[in-house]
Amino acid sequence: MSDGNDLTRRRFLGLAGQAGLTTFAARAIGVNLGLVEVLSAETKSSLQPFSFALITDSHLFSIDNHKFDKALADAVAQVNALTPAVDFVMYTGDIAQNGREDQLVKGKKILSQLNSPLKVIPGEHDWYLDMGKAWNGLFGKETWSFDHKGVHFIGLNSILVRDFWTGAGMTPLQRMQTLEMLESPIAGPWGVRDAQLEFLRKDVKKLASNTPVVIFTHSPLWDYYPRWNFQTEDAPQIREILSKFDHVTSLHGHVHQTIYNKFGNISSAGALSTSWPWPYPPVKLDYPGSQMNQSDPANVKDGMGSQSLAFDASGGATVTYEPFANSLTPFLKDGVKV
Amino acid sequence: MKITNKKVCLGIGAVSVGLLGALSLYARPPFTDAQIAEQQQELLEVVNHGRDLWHGSNPDMSTNGLACGNCHPDAAASNPNTFPKYVPQLARVAAMREMINWCVVHPQNGKDMDLNGADMIALEAYAVYLYRGQKLDPGYTLPLPPDPVKSGVGYPHTPSGIGVDK
Repeated sequence: MSDGNDLTRRRFLGLAGQAGLTTFAARAIGVNLGLVEVLSAETKSSLQPFSFALITDSHLFSIDNHKFDKALADAVAQVNALTPAVDFVMYTGDIAQNGREDQLVKGKKILSQLNSPLKVIPGEHDWYLDMGKAWNGLFGKETWSFDHKGVHFIGLNSILVRDFWTGAGMTPLQRMQTLEMLESPIAGPWGVRDAQLEFLRKDVKKLASNTPVVIFTHSPLWDYYPRWNFQTEDAPQIREILSKFDHVTSLHGHVHQTIYNKFGNISSAGALSTSWPWPYPPVKLDYPGSQMNQSDPANVKDGMGSQSLAFDASGGATVTYEPFANSLTPFLKDGVKV
Repeated sequence: MKITNKKVCLGIGAVSVGLLGALSLYARPPFTDAQIAEQQQELLEVVNHGRDLWHGSNPDMSTNGLACGNCHPDAAASNPNTFPKYVPQLARVAAMREMINWCVVHPQNGKDMDLNGADMIALEAYAVYLYRGQKLDPGYTLPLPPDPVKSGVGYPHTPSGIGVDK
């Protein structure tokens, strides 16, 4: 890990050093050309440069000393080594593999080694054994928002499905196992559903349109590959509610891979997991360069890692991927402007 | 009447011609539709068994909870149409079954499988079935094209429309 940590520090120091003008200029010629620059000019006086880290999809098993325990601990060490320290750490779901309380407890214990405060939303693997009871007990509400240094952050639970189990007479374990299979069609599409859409409407109602917004969900807010629930069914409603903002950054887990997209006023980035990489689905991408290298199955660390996001004073933000191995393409290596 | 060898030969010849004529009148494909349906059903049963194994139904295949499906949903990136090929982990050209076995023994930390056993054939059948129609392309290519899975058994691949602005 020492090499990786040194690299992490260097990369982060580089990012911190170029906060402001450089990132602004990069964005002006990069993928986020448009309204954001207006936002930056108007709000930069109230914004302070800062960063946060994102860890996701650890899929911990109940087995002692499982290799995924070590992988999550490695991600925690990566994040703790970032200099300057991140203001907080976001976890975008799937701490557990089978929704068991002992798996969630183990995850919470490993994550407690973080030097920064932790914010969490659930994934389907955390939820469907007891419908979130253990998760809520350990991590609190799954729907939340807060303001930090001029940026508005929102967390939603995007893995809610219609009741497929009662009519089928399924046990909680069968329900969980159905959700564990990525390509199973039984559970149907995920979404945030009406109550959270209402929360979102109320939450952003009084915010000025030039407020930078970051929204966290487990699944992407665009129609990536629904067969694997690389989607959120009510994402169109979410996008409509957020359409008043000049710019929104959507960060998500679930896909276990680097992926970038931009639609309307939203920039979206997927996160590296700490457990295993999913293959890229057969989808033509607008930003194919955001695909990481095909992972080498013989390298147990390839295709996994953590990431951080740095805001500069202009309101520009850059996602920096921190893979455990050499997984990044040139598009990804210097960070992705979001 | 004296039966000569010549007459016998002529007789046999006439009967043979007659039989061939009769067979041609009642010619049929090697298998009837019913037989083909039965064979396909047998195949699908094996494919379905393979799908279950792919998703962890045989505990001998894993000691750490991982199954093939963890890294290869829809058999994605298993690329059965590229085997046999050089497999770096084995340092030789290998069949897909050997690659499956490598995954079982290493990432899944499971028991070495019988390469010709029913379970291995089922795993191979599942992956190949999901890649049916794909071009045979032996050898490792980098970068591989997007995962070519078209559809699975019992999992209709419907166009999404989900999450799309109306």
